[in-house]
Amino acid sequence: MRSLSPIARRVWRLSALVFWLLVLIAGVIVALAVDGAGPWPWIGPLVLGAAWVIVVPELRWRRWRWDLTEEGIDIQHGALTVSRTLIPWVRVQHVETQRGLFEQAFDLATVNVFNAAGSHTIPLLAQADAEELRERIAARAETDDEDA
Amino acid sequence: MHPAALVVYSAAALRQGLFPLLIIVVMPLLGGEFEARELVRAAAFAGAGLVIAGVSGYVRWSTTRWWIDEAAVHHHTGLLRRSETKVPLERIEGLDVHQGPLQRAFGVFAVDVQTGAGKKGGEVALPALAPEAVEDLRAARLGAVPVAAVEETGRSRRLTGRELAITALTAGQLGVLVPVVAALGQVVGQVGESEQEDAVRFLPQSVTAAVLVVVGLLALAWLLSIAGSVIAFGGFTLVRDQERLRVRRGLISRNEATVPVGRVRAVRVVEGLLRRPFGLCALTVEVTGYADEASAARTLFPVLRVRDVRAFLDEFLPEFADELVVERPPRRALRRYVLVPALVALALTIGGWLLLGPWSVIALVVSLYGWARWRDAGWHVADGRLAVRSLLIARTTVLAPARLRESHTVSQNPFQRRAQLATLAVAFGKSTTARIRHLEATDARSALRDPQPVQ
Repeated sequence: MRSLSPIARRVWRLSALVFWLLVLIAGVIVALAVDGAGPWPWIGPLVLGAAWVIVVPELRWRRWRWDLTEEGIDIQHGALTVSRTLIPWVRVQHVETQRGLFEQAFDLATVNVFNAAGSHTIPLLAQADAEELRERIAARAETDDEDA
Repeated sequence: MHPAALVVYSAAALRQGLFPLLIIVVMPLLGGEFEARELVRAAAFAGAGLVIAGVSGYVRWSTTRWWIDEAAVHHHTGLLRRSETKVPLERIEGLDVHQGPLQRAFGVFAVDVQTGAGKKGGEVALPALAPEAVEDLRAARLGAVPVAAVEETGRSRRLTGRELAITALTAGQLGVLVPVVAALGQVVGQVGESEQEDAVRFLPQSVTAAVLVVVGLLALAWLLSIAGSVIAFGGFTLVRDQERLRVRRGLISRNEATVPVGRVRAVRVVEGLLRRPFGLCALTVEVTGYADEASAARTLFPVLRVRDVRAFLDEFLPEFADELVVERPPRRALRRYVLVPALVALALTIGGWLLLGPWSVIALVVSLYGWARWRDAGWHVADGRLAVRSLLIARTTVLAPARLRESHTVSQNPFQRRAQLATLAVAFGKSTTARIRHLEATDARSALRDPQPVQ
């Protein structure tokens, strides 16, 4: 199975860093504003955030796998709880690619696959992979047009 | 369109403006003492509202045209912003025919033309059609098959008066519970408050009052739910003709929906809290191609004996008929089902002890919920057919051919990985996901890998 772009780790790490920095700032403000709060409101987020930023993006990237098989789109994801999902080709209704700020900067794309029950996301693919996925799905949609 | 549409459109416009209008009309009356001048002013506003609604209804009616030709249904509407819709006949997935009080007064029907991509209320909404026009639409859709012939071949089942009574009495388990829980919360709140304050003599009084409120709310909610189900399910009729299911229902507003069998993704056997002790259930179906989520999960039949489900499905929806036989997850899954509810029970007990005293031991009952969920969880895969049973409040069994799934997911948390268990979730539509926790990981993985084709 294929993995996501190696740059995905960096993107996740960056966005996790931004999130935990915000939490840290909030913690510092609480520690300063509340009497007798002690240093815990900022030490907590610092330790937890550092561990998160180091471990989770790496783990998540290693676990993330996807592939286009005979049956459909095969996705495996999750850092702790690992889920593996198969979306049969005949059920795919349409695909959407989407590029946020980080993704534009790193030349990546996020693909959303829609079926009648909802949507599934394959994030942070290299542009070429995203395009292949879109074309494959378009080609499939033409061949098995209507199912029984 | 039928002139009755004028009235329907006006009523819709009136309804849209109803709330602001009501405030304008009622507020001055509530404001001070009763004054003739205020009353006249309110009446003037009300009259103006009616006139505006009437005019806008007339404009909408006079600018709306619809017709059928060999290829499509056309619908043109709008004065300032004209919209022209053309729905090719072969793209029509269903016709929802219903009759509200207004339509009934004029002897006409409202029809929503449903397509897969439809917006809420269908691609084209026609609020007033004469019966002949409805037949024309049906005939156009069916092509060469004469409507009368179809009517004759269809098998049908009507909800009897006795069944309607049973439906009404056992419906609405959640609707009954919500106000009761809210009221109980108030009781606890009041007890807590009055303990903090010094008024001890106030306590029994407020508790009695609160109990009365609870009983009152319970009775009211139950009555409302009975009335609601009688209105919704009165005259419920299910017809299967060839590749279509037709569902007619409603006492005040008569609804008729046509569902192509090919659009049905799953059948759900729902054994509600009040029905289960009597061996009763309701049948609903998950239908794709309806943009509206609420109508996607439709009632196939409001009440049925669980042991008659197989025979019923054999007759009306043999594509989905299956035995309601399931196998439980492995024995070692039991403690995983029980753990979380047991922890919640413990937390409730400890918390309750501090607030209310030893009686809070009752909260330990919550841990039985985990056991009940394990006992009722089950699944069965054979010949590409899937049956999954689970308990939330109602016990629900999802029956569907595996090949109709939208997707399926096998997931494992770290604890499950160590025990070689896995959770299987099979999605059949927006409102139906069959989920079963803590299966043997190998079973969960192989179950849907190669579903055998079904004739």
